[in-house]
Amino acid sequence: MKVALCSSFVPFINGGGRFIVEWLAAELEKHGHQTEIIWLPFVETPDTMFRQMMAYRMIDLAQSADKLIAFRPPAYVIPHPNKTLWFIHHFRKFYDLWHTPHRPVQDDNRGRAFRSRLIAADNAAIGEAKRVFTNSRVVSDRLKSFNGIDSEVLYPPIYRPERFKSGAYGEEIVCVCRAEAHKRQELLVEAMRFVKSGVKLRLCGLSHDGKYHTKLQKIVAKYSLQRKVAIEHRWISEEEKVAIVGGALGIAYVPFDEDSYGYPTLEGALAERPLVTTHDAGGTLEFIENGRNGFICDPAPESLAAAFDALWEDRDSAKRMGQAARQRIDEMRIGWPHVVESMLA
Amino acid sequence: MKILVVNNMAPFIRGGAEQLADHLVANLQRTKGVSAELLRIPFAHDPYDRVVEEIMLCRMMELSWVDRVIGLKFPAYLIPHEHKTLWLLHQYRQAYDLFDRGHSHIPANESGNALRDLVRTADDACFHAAQRIFVNSGTTQDRLKRYNGFSSTILPPPLNDPEAFTNLSTGDYIFAGGRVNSGKRQHLLIEAMKLCRTSVRLVVGGPPDTPADAARLRETAAHAGLDGRVILDLGFLDREKLAGYVGNALGCVYLPVDEDSIGYVTMEAFQSEKPVLTVTDAGGLLEIVHDGVTGLVVEPTAQALANAMDRLFLEPRQAEKLGRAGRDLWTGKHITWPNTVERLLA
Repeated sequence: MKVALCSSFVPFINGGGRFIVEWLAAELEKHGHQTEIIWLPFVETPDTMFRQMMAYRMIDLAQSADKLIAFRPPAYVIPHPNKTLWFIHHFRKFYDLWHTPHRPVQDDNRGRAFRSRLIAADNAAIGEAKRVFTNSRVVSDRLKSFNGIDSEVLYPPIYRPERFKSGAYGEEIVCVCRAEAHKRQELLVEAMRFVKSGVKLRLCGLSHDGKYHTKLQKIVAKYSLQRKVAIEHRWISEEEKVAIVGGALGIAYVPFDEDSYGYPTLEGALAERPLVTTHDAGGTLEFIENGRNGFICDPAPESLAAAFDALWEDRDSAKRMGQAARQRIDEMRIGWPHVVESMLA
Repeated sequence: MKILVVNNMAPFIRGGAEQLADHLVANLQRTKGVSAELLRIPFAHDPYDRVVEEIMLCRMMELSWVDRVIGLKFPAYLIPHEHKTLWLLHQYRQAYDLFDRGHSHIPANESGNALRDLVRTADDACFHAAQRIFVNSGTTQDRLKRYNGFSSTILPPPLNDPEAFTNLSTGDYIFAGGRVNSGKRQHLLIEAMKLCRTSVRLVVGGPPDTPADAARLRETAAHAGLDGRVILDLGFLDREKLAGYVGNALGCVYLPVDEDSIGYVTMEAFQSEKPVLTVTDAGGLLEIVHDGVTGLVVEPTAQALANAMDRLFLEPRQAEKLGRAGRDLWTGKHITWPNTVERLLA
């Protein structure tokens, strides 16, 4: 089958949103399908959004592709008789972020009309799809509440999950992700002030402008945590990541209110590591069950410190929770065979 | 500097233009201070009046974070940007020379004329706003001048992997590379082989445009009964295999009809020090294939081609001499990716 995978992108801005498309294409090719990835530019400015969406609408893929899979908005407005969505997020500033400072237009008659027309266009385009999948419960709930559209959660796997292996349960709590304010690594660093055991913390990942990294360094210096906290502010290769995660005591991932469980959660689970998160982290709560495959803490350093100590004090329990995390992947049917089957169904 | 290369996409089809775009991006990325990405906008050619939507959708797209655009093909190059360099591989010939010659799928009626004018108007506006216009060949340059009144600079696409092509040995066969279709006249070579008086061999190697093209050529070869003297290797050849065919040949042959540019077949032959046999109506490669200097240029008949192939076979030292001259002439033009990128960015 000829499958066109369409998504929007901002040239020269690389985000994780590109991986899901490229990985799915590679998996479809493995199953003998021909794929074509189509990245189209989009600038999220109210002045020209509708014009750009009309451009997408005029694209003809019906002649060349047997199937269209659409990802980021507004790729789903491209017409196709056999359209499936893997809906990752809305134009959030006009949806759930409308009542926040992120709202890009005034909340007046004109702004509200703009918003309602955008939602109407989305409703029509998404309504054309044969199947609508999302990447998380949160996004499915938004689709239901804002658009009245039912969808099925199809959790995104990572590429070649078999790379991750379970090694010894070491001394470090590990967090491998971009160092950015909304990922809240500062909570993890602050937690190290309150640990009572010999547990250590390792943070790996770049910050886009270096500012957040500087902030983390200052916390380390202020509380003299140099012996307990290692911060690697650089690009970590996939091989290194596999080794670091596979030998960790546990994995911590504490972003603020994210939609999906995040790749760090999945990578930790694949390596049979116990997972630590906070009850305001969003998508991680779909995966992590407190006391079974990790700990769901308060977003406070003391609470996280207690979880770190518990893992250090009881390695057997850490291992059991790690194994339960691995099982959770199968329970939630997170894997490429299920994704490919769903996409082509 | 962030440079976006903009090209068309015919979904699920890849050809020379796609390879050129990929190599352009890769070579831009190797340039200091430059980051480059590729944007491919899907283009549906049929029905003919879809061209209205195709033009509109490209013009309605928007870019941010991009310092420069390098546009290669219609209508993708219509995407708005204040700093645009064009490197035209060809125009939308359906609305230009093919239309005038009655070979376009746009009909010669009132509606067709309106569409032709629409394409030309959109092109004119884009060419007018462009900072620089480069073209791949003299033919494209002439058309651009004649139809749109714009001057341009010729910037021939370089060979993508010159290091892969070397002279390995002087064999007993003539190699015919490139796409296989009736327009490239491989069938004429088989007819010529029937008339050869020496034991020169012919190897045809390349991807057929359609299964019918392959079948037709196989049938012609079978009928000719040239047991073992004609080898058909029809299909996509990887670069290593192709370089082997070229590098061990006595000479290379390429018979397009009025081609726009030098063409990869000629570049690969000369890079490997092989003489090129071609015909008087071949077009762009006659700029570099000179009879008795870098190759042989004969009338497009089976008999003339047979004589030429025999001549190469009987005088292998002369063939080698032509090949060396071809290599000198070609490499002396310094058509390389680093030079090409430098000129595009100047």
